[in-house]
Amino acid sequence: MITLSHYLIVSAILFCIGLVGVYRRKNLLLLLFSTEILLNAVNIGFAAVSKFYGDLTGQMFAFFIVAVAASEVAVGLGLFIVWYKRRGTLDVDSMQSMHG
Amino acid sequence: MDHILSVLVFFPAVAALLGFVVSKESIRVYGISVAAIEFLLSLWLWFSFDGSYPGMQFVEMLPLIPSFGISYYLGVDGISLFIVVLSTFITLIGLIALSIKKDIKNMIISLLFLEMTMVGVFVSLDAILFYVFWELSLVPMLYIIGAWGGNLRIYAAVKFFLYTFAGSLIMLVGMLVMAYLYYQATGVWSFSITEWHRLVLPFDYQIWLFIAFFIGLAIKIPMFPFHTWLPYAHGQAPTIGSVILAAVLLKMGTYGLVRLSLPMFPDASVYMITPVAILSLIMIIYTAMVAYAQEDMKQVVAYSSISHMGVIVLGTFAMNAEGIAGSVFFMLSHGIVSGALFMLVGVIYDRRHTKLMSEFGGLAKVMPRYATIMGIMVMASVGLPLTMSFVGEFLSLAGFYKVSPVMTILAGTSIILGAVYMLSLYRKSFFGDVVHEKNKNLKDLDAKESMALWSLVLVTIWLGVYPKPVLGPINTSVESLVSFMHKKSITEEAKEVIRPTVVEREAE
Amino acid sequence: MEAYLYTALFAPLVGSLFAALFADKPKNLVTGIATSTLLFVSWISSVVLLIHVSHGGSVHVEMMDWIQAGGLSIPFGFVVDQVSATMMFVVTTVSTVVHVYSIGYMDHDRSFNRFFAWLSAFVFSMMVLVMSDNFAGLFIGWEGVGLCSWALIGFWYERDSASWAASEAFIMNRIADLGMLIGIFLVYWNFGSLQYDVVFAQVDAMESTILMLVTAFLFIGAMGKSAQFPLHTWLADAMEGPTPVSALIHAATMVTAGVYLVIRANPLYSEVPEVSYFVACLGAFVAIFAASMALVNRDLKRIIAYSTLSQLGYMFVAAGLGAYWIALFHLMTHAFFKALLFLGAGNVMHAMNDELDIFKMGGLAKKMKWTMIMMTLASLALAGIYPFAGFFSKDKILEAAFATDHYILWATLWVTAGLTAFYSFRLVMLVFFGEERYKIFGFHPHEAYKYMLWAMAPLALLAVVAGFFEHDFVHLVSYVLPIEEYHVSTGVFWTLVAVTLGIAITGIAVAVIVYSRGGFSKKLEETFVYKLLFNQYYIPKLYNDFICKPYAELSKIFWKDLDLKVVDATVDFIAGTIYKSGMVSRVVQSGNLSNMLRWMGVGLLILLIAAIFYSPMR
Repeated sequence: MITLSHYLIVSAILFCIGLVGVYRRKNLLLLLFSTEILLNAVNIGFAAVSKFYGDLTGQMFAFFIVAVAASEVAVGLGLFIVWYKRRGTLDVDSMQSMHG
Repeated sequence: MDHILSVLVFFPAVAALLGFVVSKESIRVYGISVAAIEFLLSLWLWFSFDGSYPGMQFVEMLPLIPSFGISYYLGVDGISLFIVVLSTFITLIGLIALSIKKDIKNMIISLLFLEMTMVGVFVSLDAILFYVFWELSLVPMLYIIGAWGGNLRIYAAVKFFLYTFAGSLIMLVGMLVMAYLYYQATGVWSFSITEWHRLVLPFDYQIWLFIAFFIGLAIKIPMFPFHTWLPYAHGQAPTIGSVILAAVLLKMGTYGLVRLSLPMFPDASVYMITPVAILSLIMIIYTAMVAYAQEDMKQVVAYSSISHMGVIVLGTFAMNAEGIAGSVFFMLSHGIVSGALFMLVGVIYDRRHTKLMSEFGGLAKVMPRYATIMGIMVMASVGLPLTMSFVGEFLSLAGFYKVSPVMTILAGTSIILGAVYMLSLYRKSFFGDVVHEKNKNLKDLDAKESMALWSLVLVTIWLGVYPKPVLGPINTSVESLVSFMHKKSITEEAKEVIRPTVVEREAE
Repeated sequence: MEAYLYTALFAPLVGSLFAALFADKPKNLVTGIATSTLLFVSWISSVVLLIHVSHGGSVHVEMMDWIQAGGLSIPFGFVVDQVSATMMFVVTTVSTVVHVYSIGYMDHDRSFNRFFAWLSAFVFSMMVLVMSDNFAGLFIGWEGVGLCSWALIGFWYERDSASWAASEAFIMNRIADLGMLIGIFLVYWNFGSLQYDVVFAQVDAMESTILMLVTAFLFIGAMGKSAQFPLHTWLADAMEGPTPVSALIHAATMVTAGVYLVIRANPLYSEVPEVSYFVACLGAFVAIFAASMALVNRDLKRIIAYSTLSQLGYMFVAAGLGAYWIALFHLMTHAFFKALLFLGAGNVMHAMNDELDIFKMGGLAKKMKWTMIMMTLASLALAGIYPFAGFFSKDKILEAAFATDHYILWATLWVTAGLTAFYSFRLVMLVFFGEERYKIFGFHPHEAYKYMLWAMAPLALLAVVAGFFEHDFVHLVSYVLPIEEYHVSTGVFWTLVAVTLGIAITGIAVAVIVYSRGGFSKKLEETFVYKLLFNQYYIPKLYNDFICKPYAELSKIFWKDLDLKVVDATVDFIAGTIYKSGMVSRVVQSGNLSNMLRWMGVGLLILLIAAIFYSPMR
């Protein structure tokens, strides 16, 4: 029997993977991927909880997040391409011009 | 004219906005005429003021945020009336004597804006409104010091702004707490100062609130040890900035003591007499000594003005009609006299571009008219009878004598130490021989300087000889304030100290 | 009568303002003549008032309100009673003479007009002082004469010593004025008013401690104006001013204001014998102290100044012993002969191109006969020789001291009388007789203008005859002052007179004999006592070393070390700390994305933990 806990554990594991990615990666593209993983981890949680409680709001939110994530990727990738054309790298450490 | 106070507050501001379209050549005349109209309006206010009625007059009330009890609430009584007149008068005189050439348009516009904030502070009866004008007054002054000042102007301007701003933030917290306490007591929000006066607070609340308000006010006054921004501000500010700063802006602090602290927290005020008086004494004696050590004329005047503010605070904390009326009157005379002294120093600075006393000597011979006015003002500052300052100083000290004879004797040293530094200033710069070649051909006062300065001299002597037209209304309001405080106070000690004047008016 | 009162009071003010209009213009004889005329008008009014009150009664007017606050109400009120009328007479007489004299004396001065503006302003202030009917009005005049004295001592402001002396006089007076002010506060809070009549009416009901404090503080004020020890140093230095000023202000009128105050407040002083006794003792001390300094001084004007100081001491003895009328009497006669003495000294200075060292003079009698005669008359009066004015008043003081059993006071004053006679004639001898030393120094002395001498004539006359009006005077002031009859037997009385006259004559004789033979030997100048006296007991030096210098030092320390390095530095330190904490924490804002993400993670973690631990669900 797969219970809610299983879904949530998967979601948590995914979240952790995403978090590690966010922490460890220096490449912007991979950072973006990691954030996507984070978002999807949340999505799983939403969907599962929604199914479990029989409330559609959660699934609605999941869709919402998917849509937002998609537009995010679209805009983000566009920016990355411009950045890469200008600087020839996507290393995070190279972008520190806004330091205090 | 039902809305005379609103007109007084906003006329200069509107005129300042219109000033942007006035051409650079005619802005001087424009500024002077606006200030003159404003001054005439304030005189009109004075003449239609009923001096025998102690309460608020010309009251205007318009709710702004009714749910929090914040309203547009203006009014004057005998205490604030003359400070309003002083503000408009000094602005006018300052504009007449203005000698700045650089960016004159900006200067005049900021002065008119400053005038709005000054009048606003003194006529506001709503705490939030009061606070808004109080803080707004910093902005034009910051600009005046920062843009036209001396070499250290940025440092001085920032110090002035941040220091006073920090203090008033503490006062703002006090105001919010006060409003909250009022809400708890009555179930309605109100920021009206007159409403707050009626609220009787328990003693420990009073103490904390008193301290919160006092810090904000003390920095403005400036009390020792919060005074160090003032010498910098005066040292760097252009003449007009110093004149207005000393004559009016400092009075906001002492006015706040009379308007807010005393009637709102009578018991705490009585409890705090000794510490406040000790600070004032340090301020009087210490700054008088520091003034003696100065080498720069303007710094002498700056420190002397701190020293005299100490007497004003002392008079306020005398808690009797003599002392408080004296200290309110002393605020006015300090405004006129120290304003005049700063203007006089400005005159010589315009000619020689230095204020060091060692650069002068023998000026009495070269500039006799200038020396005469300086002499009169020095004597006024020293507190010679038949000048305005004597009336204020005498009453303040006389009032405080009732509280503590010993402290009054110590405070009275101000009349000795004042003579020491002022006469040494006069001796170093005006007496002796003309030693410096550059001083041999200095021009005496020109027409606009003479006009500005002589009118200050006239006021000084007129109100020294016949202070009644001003002192009368002040006294009426102060007496009612004292008897109000007496009734309101809850501790035995306060009832003992705050003694309303027994006047057999009916018997006469 | 009110019209006369206002005329007497305001005529000098009008003159002063008129002259002030021309203050920075070149010399204009009109100012001198106008002010003198107006003073003469004032003098006539004073005389009319004096005659009016001479049969009792007084003139009391209230011109307008001055200060009204709380329970304090001070009007501009003026009262002419027998005491103030006497004072007005003295003031206007001497000042009219001095004004006329000054037209000649200041003849060549660049600031002729300014001089008259200030001189008349002084007279106005002095009139306010004596005519006022309350303590605050007295204080107006009190400070007013201080101001004018400042301006007139520093009249030749180019000279550093003059401006220094002016400041010294003003500041010394201010110290005393503080005492006076405190006295006024005490009067107000205890009597509820500052009007003389109201205050004096309540004296009986007042506690003696309060009366003691009031009188003590008021006397501190009097000590400053009348230059009593330890506030005496300014008077000698005040001689930097033009000589007519010394005659008017620092001999006849202003310095006697302190005595006037004690006489005016006699109902208070007579209630507190302790303070009165102190006043008398201090007076006697100052009398002999000042006379001793006059013995050795070489400066023409300073000798007279010390003699003034000494005579003021006499007046305070009289006032302290309760013999107020004698104090007032001596005040009056002293004003006449001392002003005369100073004006004579002015003539000498004119003749000697402002040289003041009496050892550079000598034998001037030939050139300046009239000046010599008048100065000798004044010196005789000062020494207290019958029948000159000083004899009557000084003798009365000694008699009062003796009759009230204050033998030490009496002895002090008796010795002082001898010293007075000696130094007066030392001066006369050295200036007018003996070897003509001025020739060595190349001076060409000449007699003063005729009208200057004529101007001095009334004073000379008064110095001679004023004493004979003693009975009229007693009758006059008996309306306001207590007149005590001193009961000494006739034998004792005549003995006292003889002894006093004896020591005075001895003093004169010693001076005449010694100085006609060329003076004391130079060896005397080597002695310690001579040096002590010549350096004024080192008091000015003490003041300079132990008050002025430390004050200046301390001021510098307060400014440079305390204000800038402690108070202001603390403020700047707080501001600096805030600024620095910003500098330190700015590295957080590295701009590095992964760094920021880490911080975000940390923040998230903290929030999660907080949510778990502080969850309201638990």
